[in-house]
Amino acid sequence: MTTTMPTAPAPAQPAHRGSAGGGLMRRLNFGTGVLAGVALAAVAWLLSHSLLDSAGTFFQDQVATITFIGWVVGFLLGIGAFNGPINWFRGRDLTHDDELYLAGKDLGPRRYWKFCTDHKVVGVQYFVMTMIVLFAGGVLAMLIRIQLARPGDHFVNPQIYNAFIGMHGILMIVGLIVAVSGPFGNFIMPIMIGARDMAFPRLNALSFWLLVAAAVPLLAVFAVGGISDGWSTYAPLSVQDHVGMDAFAVGVTTFIISTTIAGVNMVTTFITMRTKGMKLDRVPIFTWGVTTSAALGLYAMPFFAVALTLLLSDRALGTSFYLSFGGGTDWLWENLFWLMGHPEVYVILLPAVGAVLEIATVFARKPLFGYNVVVGGMIGIVGLSTIVWAHHMFTTGWAPALNGPFMLTTELISIPTGVVFLALLGTIWQGRLWTRLPLLYVFGFVWNFIIGGVTGIYLSDVPVDNQMHGTMFVVAHFHYVFVGSVLFGALGAVAFWFPKMTGKYLDERMGRVAFWLVFAGVQVTFISMFISGLMGMQRRVSSYAHAMATTNFISTIGAFVIMAGMIIEAYTIVTSWRSGREAGRNPWRSKTLEWQVPTPVPLENFEVPPVVTSDPYGYGEAAPPLEAPAGHPDATPVTVGAAAKEELQS
Amino acid sequence: MTLTDTPAPTPPSPEPPAARPIRWKEIVAVWLVLTAITVVGDLVVFPRVMPRSASTTMHLTIVTVVLFSVTAAPVGSLVYAGAVYALRHWRAGSGDEPPPEGPPYRKHNQLSIAWLSISAMLAVFLLVWGLGALAADNAVAQKATMTVDATGQQWLWTFHYPGTKVTTETPYLPVGRTVTFDVTSLDVTHSFWIVQMGAKIDANPGEVTTVSVTPTRIGDFDVRCAELCGLYHAFMTTQIHVVSASQYQSWLQTQELSA
Repeated sequence: MTTTMPTAPAPAQPAHRGSAGGGLMRRLNFGTGVLAGVALAAVAWLLSHSLLDSAGTFFQDQVATITFIGWVVGFLLGIGAFNGPINWFRGRDLTHDDELYLAGKDLGPRRYWKFCTDHKVVGVQYFVMTMIVLFAGGVLAMLIRIQLARPGDHFVNPQIYNAFIGMHGILMIVGLIVAVSGPFGNFIMPIMIGARDMAFPRLNALSFWLLVAAAVPLLAVFAVGGISDGWSTYAPLSVQDHVGMDAFAVGVTTFIISTTIAGVNMVTTFITMRTKGMKLDRVPIFTWGVTTSAALGLYAMPFFAVALTLLLSDRALGTSFYLSFGGGTDWLWENLFWLMGHPEVYVILLPAVGAVLEIATVFARKPLFGYNVVVGGMIGIVGLSTIVWAHHMFTTGWAPALNGPFMLTTELISIPTGVVFLALLGTIWQGRLWTRLPLLYVFGFVWNFIIGGVTGIYLSDVPVDNQMHGTMFVVAHFHYVFVGSVLFGALGAVAFWFPKMTGKYLDERMGRVAFWLVFAGVQVTFISMFISGLMGMQRRVSSYAHAMATTNFISTIGAFVIMAGMIIEAYTIVTSWRSGREAGRNPWRSKTLEWQVPTPVPLENFEVPPVVTSDPYGYGEAAPPLEAPAGHPDATPVTVGAAAKEELQS
Repeated sequence: MTLTDTPAPTPPSPEPPAARPIRWKEIVAVWLVLTAITVVGDLVVFPRVMPRSASTTMHLTIVTVVLFSVTAAPVGSLVYAGAVYALRHWRAGSGDEPPPEGPPYRKHNQLSIAWLSISAMLAVFLLVWGLGALAADNAVAQKATMTVDATGQQWLWTFHYPGTKVTTETPYLPVGRTVTFDVTSLDVTHSFWIVQMGAKIDANPGEVTTVSVTPTRIGDFDVRCAELCGLYHAFMTTQIHVVSASQYQSWLQTQELSA
């Protein structure tokens, strides 16, 4: 990529102190958020006890719902999420000084505990939060596998087991939705397109702290008795569930508000914040992956919020959206859920695909193969994924006449998805493979995604799905996609962008140990899980027939190998972050913009917005002619290729 | 691309990196070996691992699974063969300095079109086969000469033979005679699944759904609930006994008398 990095001085800052509510509002942080959240939850609990009829049928659900909403609102107030609007109402909008304070200027590490608008801080916050959520989900996965190591409910009773599977499901879904877009979509993408921040920095901070607010009711589900419906919480089972379901509904709805705000922000950033010359066909492919995912999430995720709101209404207000004796139907839940549920798979997948392709070009030292076809494929996936949802409902009896059409759309989506392999192979082809850790994850992704994709084709076929639906075969299939493909893309992204986020290399040797453990563990766990499913083991069962004892035991062993790999990965991340080898500005000699700015990245990324004159994939090509940026004739034009060569020589 | 009128200095243009000769024979050999291993594996594993078919529906399902696996084998193996070849021949170091840059292949229109066409043809093949199998499954319903009501509730199945007083938790069926199950639920969503017969339909409260099968052999077959339905979902199981026509009649009469 040819870019110009002008070195004009930044405009002088206004000298006066800001008016962001003076001292109090500036002192708000995570701690005050927790205090205010607990306080408002307590107030909500007391108020609902004194105002509502405690003999009513729905009393407990009403109290639980109001209390958890109290927590969310209180936490956001306490951390200062509403300072902007409050000041605006008081007629004292934020000054530039205030904005810089909000962005964490001169705050040091404290800014990671605050409502911080700097997209890089938000990215790091998401990174840590993702690790925590995935770790919690992983511990639950181990508990599930301990239960299933032998048949016969030998570890916990079905009530607790059902809570395990439901919480494992939702934590992993939440974790994976944010796993790539959260850390790297926020930290990397704005720099990639030459922006100084996201389009809406305060909404960016809000989206992250909403995720934290959502995590508390989600984890509180255990404290109030768990849920027994799986993460898909099919009504009417979820209507009759304990108050844990109210916590679940409030938590997930909060999370969906978070993803929607983040999605609006990312799509707007993509459309409006690209720097001069960053035309749509010069945008790095990772940015396309994040943006298409965010746009799809904007369409898909609200369905779940609607479904959960109706569910809360059935539970706490006595309506009957999902109750057949009141004129409702379980098919309403299933449709709303899967209208979200299937696009959501691609919301999770697309950023990982973008990251894998980005890594492939850098480590094959070649341009991205078939850029236009890949972008078209991503957009095709977004479009098609909105009309495949009922393939999750082939066996429900809802609309047998639509089984054929939904089989058609589902099989069609294999075409744009297959383009990913064309692009990956084409990029690697004749490459000079720099076999560093990130490239390992690219090959791991190829291996697993073939298996995850092919097994999806069985399930798209209605007669086969009539046998496989609701079995461990389905579970193994989507774990090959989520763990084998998305997690591999995410870990590859960690290895790749770690030097930019932390200034250090991710330790290569430990990283490889983690890779091979996770890779081997995935094969062992999920291939034997395919066999359990083929033999006739249903999913979400706490016990099973003795015939499947061997394959389940093997799956349990494999799962612990994955966990061992992930613990080593977490250890590697922590130790490399603290005392890893210094990596410098552009250790991978990449041509995308984020590697051209210094590490650590300065507060507003670029002193003067760069001007882009070509796409970032000019490997093996003569550098295009240099051009001075418009409006900055004094700026020193720099080609990235030339910069890389200078570094090589020095 | 031009942003200003400033005349641009022309940088020296080095020779583009050269492509290396490709040993196509090696790629084809790896591809064929992988395909052969996968095909043999599919033919051996699936029929052994899946339950032995007890209905025409299940028979067709097993055939379809094997057919799809055999079709997918060369496709997946092709990607693997390419990846293996790249890893064998194009590794260029893992130090801190990057290898020299590769040849700038950006696109290949014919290849892209061929790739898209082949995947489209595969999708059409899957669709046509799937629609055919779906039609065959649906045709089973037309041949049904008896009906059994199957009702799910937390956490057991109850079967009623319409026109009789017979209600049981372990139903008997005559071999070779097509039966339609009218399935419903008294509480939450369940899923009625006869494992060895490849037949599954949800039991929805307030709705009646149907599924038809033709049992093809005598034996005891598993019914499992395939939709999470609460505490004892895993134990919502029973058996269907497929017997000869005369045994079925005598069973029905005994049940009728004791009812």
